[in-house]
Amino acid sequence: MTEVVAFQDLSADEREAQERKLREIWRTPCGWRYWTSVNNTQIGLWYGAAAFIFMLFAGVLALLVRVQLAVPENGFLSADLFNQAFTLHGTVMMFLFAVPIFEAVAIFLLPSMLGARELPFPRLSAFGFWSFALGGVFVCGSIFFNAAPNSGWFMYPPLATDKEYSGIGADIWLLGLSFIEVASIAAAVELIVGIMKCRAPGMRVNIMPLFAWYLLIVAGMILFAFPPLIAGDILFEMQRMFNWPFFDAERGGDPLLWQHLFWIFGHPEVYIIFLPAIAIMAMIVPTFAQRPIVGYSWIVLAAVGTGFLSFGLWVHHMFATGLPQISLAFFSAASEAVAIPTGVQIFVFIATLLAGRVIFSVPMLFGTGGLAVFVIGGLTGVMVALVPFDWQAHDTYFVVAHLHYVLIGGMLFPVVAGIYYYYPLINARKLSDRLGKIAFWIMFAGFNVAFFPMHLVGLRGMPRRVFTYPADIGWDWFNLVSTVGAFVFAAGVVVVVIDVLRPKHRQPKEQINPWNAGTLEWISEPEENWGVRSIPIITSRYPIWDQPDLLEDINAGRYYLPDAQDGARETLVTSVLDARPIQCLRVGGTSILTMVAAFSLGGVFIALTFHWWIVTIFCAVLTLAAIVAWLWTATAEIPRAEFRDIGLGKKLPLYNSGPRSVGWWGMFITMAGDGTAYASLMFGYFFYWTIHEDFTAGHAGPGVAWPLLAAGLFTLAWLAMLLARRVNASDRPGMTRAALLLSAALTLAGCLAGIAGPHRSGMDPTAHVYPAIVWVVAIWTVAHGAIGIVMQAYCLARSLAGRMSARHDMDMHNVVLYWHFLVITAVTSFGVVGLFPAVR
Amino acid sequence: MRLLPKEVESLWTLFTGPTIWAVHFLVCYVAVAIYCEKARTGPFTFAEMRLALVLVTLLALAGIVLSAWLAWRQWGFGSGDPPHDAPTREDRLLFQGFATLLLSGLSFVAVLFVAVPLVLIEACQP
Amino acid sequence: MAAPLVLPGCAGGQSALDPAGREAAEVYDLFVVMVIGGGVIWLAVIGLLVHACRRRRRTWSEEGAGRLIAWGGVAFPVVALFALLAYAVWLMPSIRPWLDRSVPEPAMIDVTGEQFWWRIRYPAEDGMAAFETANELRLPVGERVAFSLRAADVIHSFWIPSLGGKMDMIPGRTNVLSLLPTKTGVYQAPCAEFCGASHAYMAFSVIVMDTKAYDDWRRRQAAGNRPGGSEGERLFAHHGCAGCHSVRGVTPVAGLGPDLTRFSDRRTVGAGALANTPENVARFIRNPSAIKPGATMPAFDMLSQGDIAAIAEFLTGRP
Repeated sequence: MTEVVAFQDLSADEREAQERKLREIWRTPCGWRYWTSVNNTQIGLWYGAAAFIFMLFAGVLALLVRVQLAVPENGFLSADLFNQAFTLHGTVMMFLFAVPIFEAVAIFLLPSMLGARELPFPRLSAFGFWSFALGGVFVCGSIFFNAAPNSGWFMYPPLATDKEYSGIGADIWLLGLSFIEVASIAAAVELIVGIMKCRAPGMRVNIMPLFAWYLLIVAGMILFAFPPLIAGDILFEMQRMFNWPFFDAERGGDPLLWQHLFWIFGHPEVYIIFLPAIAIMAMIVPTFAQRPIVGYSWIVLAAVGTGFLSFGLWVHHMFATGLPQISLAFFSAASEAVAIPTGVQIFVFIATLLAGRVIFSVPMLFGTGGLAVFVIGGLTGVMVALVPFDWQAHDTYFVVAHLHYVLIGGMLFPVVAGIYYYYPLINARKLSDRLGKIAFWIMFAGFNVAFFPMHLVGLRGMPRRVFTYPADIGWDWFNLVSTVGAFVFAAGVVVVVIDVLRPKHRQPKEQINPWNAGTLEWISEPEENWGVRSIPIITSRYPIWDQPDLLEDINAGRYYLPDAQDGARETLVTSVLDARPIQCLRVGGTSILTMVAAFSLGGVFIALTFHWWIVTIFCAVLTLAAIVAWLWTATAEIPRAEFRDIGLGKKLPLYNSGPRSVGWWGMFITMAGDGTAYASLMFGYFFYWTIHEDFTAGHAGPGVAWPLLAAGLFTLAWLAMLLARRVNASDRPGMTRAALLLSAALTLAGCLAGIAGPHRSGMDPTAHVYPAIVWVVAIWTVAHGAIGIVMQAYCLARSLAGRMSARHDMDMHNVVLYWHFLVITAVTSFGVVGLFPAVR
Repeated sequence: MRLLPKEVESLWTLFTGPTIWAVHFLVCYVAVAIYCEKARTGPFTFAEMRLALVLVTLLALAGIVLSAWLAWRQWGFGSGDPPHDAPTREDRLLFQGFATLLLSGLSFVAVLFVAVPLVLIEACQP
Repeated sequence: MAAPLVLPGCAGGQSALDPAGREAAEVYDLFVVMVIGGGVIWLAVIGLLVHACRRRRRTWSEEGAGRLIAWGGVAFPVVALFALLAYAVWLMPSIRPWLDRSVPEPAMIDVTGEQFWWRIRYPAEDGMAAFETANELRLPVGERVAFSLRAADVIHSFWIPSLGGKMDMIPGRTNVLSLLPTKTGVYQAPCAEFCGASHAYMAFSVIVMDTKAYDDWRRRQAAGNRPGGSEGERLFAHHGCAGCHSVRGVTPVAGLGPDLTRFSDRRTVGAGALANTPENVARFIRNPSAIKPGATMPAFDMLSQGDIAAIAEFLTGRP
């Protein structure tokens, strides 16, 4: 049954006044300040444009690679430049295009698709974008100084830890990309909280758009896939910078640990790229089949199933490393199993088309063409997932063909379909049908000509990443054909670019929702920044099809939040399952702080690359200051009134703390990612234990006393935090401050005790991997303790400044949540290094 | 049989099946990885470890069947067919039940797949 | 002499599609099965997709479409993938002990990957002495051989496409690979893991011979070169070549660079970089990194043409 809503109609004047106010509050700043905007439409657009520019750059690199390989014994590129080109091609396509483009699309589309004004943390999106853009330019720019990474996008040590070979390129890769990974995790936090908590009232989980389902899963995957790489990056950079031997076999390290950490990230990454593109397909197919999707639950099954299974595949990149064959077979089995949910999705699309009446259009052309390509990639994927076949195909051009069939068919074609489909949301005009068709056929033909022969040349023995090959070995024709195909394909991409960039002011504007789609993103008008004029009550999966007069009612401001109060940007927070409204959320507006924070954090990473220690410290302090200022001014603000009339006779609180607030969710999700990175470090600890008969190799451990003392102190500090929260809730600010101070003192003592263990036993981290990994675990924990102290100081300051009270205790809840994670980390770290492998 | 109250309403029940798969997979992988590195000092033979893992597999399958049964109940034992797209709590529950059932099915198959090597492979290395 | 066994044609076979070993043949059969199956599946899926996009056709009911998902998207893939998985796992060597435990372990040939060449050590066997060689592997046909694979510097990967799958060579680890060549012939084997600037120039030749020729070759190798007192031989020691390269029987053992004993038998110079001719050897000595970027051997372009030619003649046995 649907809720009965009693609309109240306003006069035209009142409506206009509301609109003026809304427009003013959601206004995009002018002049240079335009770039300080945090609105999702701008951020989404910039994000997408930047990702696309990086894609074109990486495409040019691919063409250079193809020119070099066109004929045998070619001298077009030197070996070193070739190695830089293919490394950067893979790196940029993966980290600077494939993942960010989905973040871009999500940030752009999600709010209006969910019927929200904004995502819950708009400034976090802006921070993510600026981090991404800066990191991307840094990484890409390196090739112009002949300093690009040249060890492959997988960066296997010991080649990549060999400073003589890899120069500064490897540091640029490690630090530049760590910075971008931070941006990705920021986006993941934003998207998860946005999808779970900011849907329009009534949009229950069973009627939420499939795009949101997919994005929820993908953001969750990012949260568990990227942190292992960050942990790996830390170990790697410690080896490069300070000679800690994590991957040096002579001192007990093992190059394979990097491969594990890299591929625990690297395989889910493929699905992180693929699922959002399929999500776009899941929006396009119903529109052009003119009916709701058949098998909504099947798609949810496929998305969730793929999300899980994708974490059990990583070793299939390591089938030839000599791991026990039974382990290989487990991963082979999981790799076969993941084909099932993938197949389900394709059949859901076919079934939907069969059950509908199909209007064939350019988006459909790219979509179905992409599927035809992708299915080949999927089938070869089933092949290479079989261990014996992979032993032949691994690291040959067969795999190059396979992965391009998967990624271009499963990601690039659907993304271009998405561009043709969603372009009217950007510019109120469609792209050209004619150019679209031309572009598709050129791309489709060029792609197959370029990549199909690679299957054969790979099986004929051509390994990947060779900068040249002998003439008499029978690969020349295949390679020449591939190169020609690559240029044809590139020409098709150029046609798309021309179509997007050509001036369209003479073209008449389309009406709203030109494809007659059913989902909510189509109600938004490109000129308006507010997302939706008023936040509707949703009762269908395809509200525009099923809810009569929805568009008119929304735009007449007949639903929730039709006006703006207190000059604040507002959106609704709803419950996770049934989307009942629970809070009116005020989100951050235009600010330069995010940019300052992103650029100074970028400064930290860049200065580290060049070992400019003083600049590093300066930038780190600036970053901290910017983040604190950002939090201080824009979060957990105590509202003037407790409740806000959101219209339709409903009042909602403006302030929530604990699990009811989005900030708490943001903290929880961030810490889940952080915990994953930590778990990866501990995986490293036990990994070294398994591969060595005596893991310590006779080196002294940190002893038992100091680590256990540290664990005890951290536990006491945690208890003091629980006490602080409790006394704060009973409105005793003096006691609260005392408890905070006590906890901070205990934490400080805990940190010192944690360091004292390895320090006093004289553990030398450059001598062997055992002291090195103990130090890393201790430093990680102590660094988190230090951040905890900063948070306590922040709470103390908030309490002193009257910005935190018994009722308004969001900061306290979030910091205690952090402490839950911290105490688990500390007890695990110090328990393990103190007691394992053996008490001495 | 009321193992769990029928009203358990959570997004997380959806993930029961895949989580069991993940735990099973991890146990198999870790057991084998440690066994094959430490075989010389370990007290078990390969066959014994295999047997233990087969038991873990059966346990996992049983867990998934249980989760499927609970989901089936939530789906009203198949009473309400998809699409489950009404804006009601009831349809939302049916949807969750059905999706959980499908996921349990996938997890069941995935666990079976992972069990194939346990049946066929006889040693760490040839 | 075994020279006639070294078949003509500069490049040997290097294709997984033309198997000459048991492992490669098994994988080839698996591949053929998958290509046929995959082709049929692709045609069926794309046929359905194209049909679905046609304008004039019957519209399916929602139930019918749902059944298509259940059967086409779930039931068929589950069965097909299960069968395929079992087939492939069946081909893995680790199930072989169960099939055949009676075959004795073959002696291991040690192969070490170095930037950018292959150090090869044959074990003592059947009364023949152990010896070291480089960049060329000779194997007896019809006998199972096992390799013990290591890396000296970075990760390399050992792969003879015509005989079977690859196995990485990882610093700090020893991997084992076992192959059974079934056809005599010359095969090429590239390094399959990216290992630096000259990854493209890191290959070795594999010559599969009948048992008798193989035994002859081993005996000759174990015996080493016979000192001939040539000018090249003297210059080889005089200019310091012998500091890195052994020519057993002529120079003291030196292990830094590839062993050059009976180099005249080899097919290539520079680990597959060039054909083994006196001119190419001379070119290589003059400036190795012009041919192999990143090669660790220094250039000897300060030597006179005549000296280089003499050394090349000493190594190749041809003027």
